[in-house]
Amino acid sequence: MSDEPLLRAAGLTRHFRLGGMFDKQVLHAVDDLDLTIHEREIVALVGESGSGKSTVARLLARVYPPTRGEIHYRGRPLHNLRSRRALFWYRGEVAMVFQDPFSAFNPVYRVSHGVMRNLALHRSDLSRGERQQEAERVCGSVGLSPKMLTRFPYELSGGERQRVGFAQALAVRPKLILADEPVSMLDVSIRAGVLNMMAGLRDQEGVSILYITHDIASARYVADRIVVMYAGHLVEAGPTETVLRDPRHPYTQLLLSAVADPREKVESISADSGEPPRVINPTEGCRFRWRCPLAIEKCGQVTPRPMPVGSRQVACHVTAGEPEVPAGDSGPVSVSSHRSS
Amino acid sequence: MAEPLLEVVDLTVDYLTDTADVRAVNGVSFTVEPGEFLGIVGESGCGKTTLLFAVAQLLSPPGEVTGGSVVFRGTDMVRVSPGELRAMRWLDYSVVMQSAMNALNPMKSIGAQFKDTLEAHGDSSAQEIRQRSAEVLALVGIDAAHLKSYPHQLSGGMRQRAMIAMALLFTPQLVIMDEPTSALDVVAQRSLMNKVKDLQRRLGFAIVFVTHDMSVVSRYADRVMVMYAGQVAEAASTEAIFDRPLHPYTRGLMNAFPSIGGPRRELAGIPGAPPDLARPPSGCRFHPRCPEVMPACLTREPELYAIGGAEVRCLLYAEDDR
Repeated sequence: MSDEPLLRAAGLTRHFRLGGMFDKQVLHAVDDLDLTIHEREIVALVGESGSGKSTVARLLARVYPPTRGEIHYRGRPLHNLRSRRALFWYRGEVAMVFQDPFSAFNPVYRVSHGVMRNLALHRSDLSRGERQQEAERVCGSVGLSPKMLTRFPYELSGGERQRVGFAQALAVRPKLILADEPVSMLDVSIRAGVLNMMAGLRDQEGVSILYITHDIASARYVADRIVVMYAGHLVEAGPTETVLRDPRHPYTQLLLSAVADPREKVESISADSGEPPRVINPTEGCRFRWRCPLAIEKCGQVTPRPMPVGSRQVACHVTAGEPEVPAGDSGPVSVSSHRSS
Repeated sequence: MAEPLLEVVDLTVDYLTDTADVRAVNGVSFTVEPGEFLGIVGESGCGKTTLLFAVAQLLSPPGEVTGGSVVFRGTDMVRVSPGELRAMRWLDYSVVMQSAMNALNPMKSIGAQFKDTLEAHGDSSAQEIRQRSAEVLALVGIDAAHLKSYPHQLSGGMRQRAMIAMALLFTPQLVIMDEPTSALDVVAQRSLMNKVKDLQRRLGFAIVFVTHDMSVVSRYADRVMVMYAGQVAEAASTEAIFDRPLHPYTRGLMNAFPSIGGPRRELAGIPGAPPDLARPPSGCRFHPRCPEVMPACLTREPELYAIGGAEVRCLLYAEDDR
């Protein structure tokens, strides 16, 4: 891994103005988020609906510019990419895969259309025959047979469509794939296949993936690092196993307790209703405090900033100050409230 | 126990199209006792939703029940007249649909939709209607102020809970739920399931719950029925099915979701997709995807074999082979 990460975002902020001319409401989708993605790394961005995960992906894909903050791709600041040519270069480096494989494809074109178009645009050095070969190769790396290229989207199952999405992204030979909830619309039985394919892309093709999900268990399965977001803020980030073995932020603990484990009994009921955070004109203070079992007075006054705790970062007034717990032992906080058994 | 609340016998549903007749549900039988929670699990395209629609008599052409019976509290729903059926809906049984955004009317407030339902089944006064609507909303943990809200003003989880509140307006004995949680994120999903189970304990209605995610029903269902390609693949008590899954398909479904504790292990999922029901495979319908396929599976169609308290449709358990 080189010193300069593949992608580094600092203080990333995106606000949306709502309402009419005189009704000044501002939705804080992402606030002051720091994020790094290294080469050959899968980073999971975890949070529930409304936490700002998809906005982050769109900011990184330059769908819209950030309100504040900097994104550096291989050391180059993205706001300098103004010319068509520079943006074109960036789009060839960073590709996106969308959530809903049932509406992401044009139904009147064959599967080959998207793949070949990407190849023609971004790999214009290839001859026609080489493009066909390359299209077949990317199909192979996502686990599809080359025959699939001649099919129409309606002929494919959900899992196959999502693989086509990855094949299209791969065709531009990207260094980074932004995958926005790629498995949440798929049947559980075929999710594993797509997750395995993502791990394969990292190991064999050397691409990095930003894996956006609300399911922390699937994040654990593929990701090297986890970034947990709540209401536009980073609440906890660190190496997957460190974070999950001893989740420090109460929100991470809540996400973990929401994973259905068939071996657990129904008695451990958390009272949390899973309501989305309110991020319109937020006031100072921790945004999780309404739902937090550990909230203290300070949480309503000062917004917690991510603090380094060992190898990770935690944004919590209560738990960030506690020392790192050695491996194999569950932390004092993770036992309370949510994870009582 | 006395007679079951719902008894489905040999139910068969065909979609009669010009090109092919598709048998989406093929000889499915099951019973639901009063107050029981039955989970029906399977992938997309296994006939789960068609089965539910057939039970609730919501099928529209080209779908048609072509065999079997659905006896609900002594009445065969397949043969009952539309008028009688209308009287039973909401009152005796109700259905919660998969996508609450599409199931609720976007042009009407939640309260107005509750009012429609209440008025269709009795001439209660405006006061009573308001009171009952507020009561059921309180049951699912939504403030009565939201009776004035429109569906788009509610979050996904709240919409789904409003749907459940509507299903409970008359406290029916049977509530049929078609993947109510699959559009929600994990936290909202968990909270909704807890709510449903809690309400069931308090009000005592029976639930038929359809999902593709076995982990969702694991901690809530009393019994689980696994469907594959329009047939019952396995049916057993929840404990039995999770402790000792018999059918290779059930095992595949169980190993499909990543766990949060313990060592990270490789997940296989189930390769391939459910078969096209217009041309089901020969022999056992699962054989093209089965990791334990035997030569006999290609030709011989397995029946439902009883193993202990469980039923399983797999030649591994055929009497003459053991």
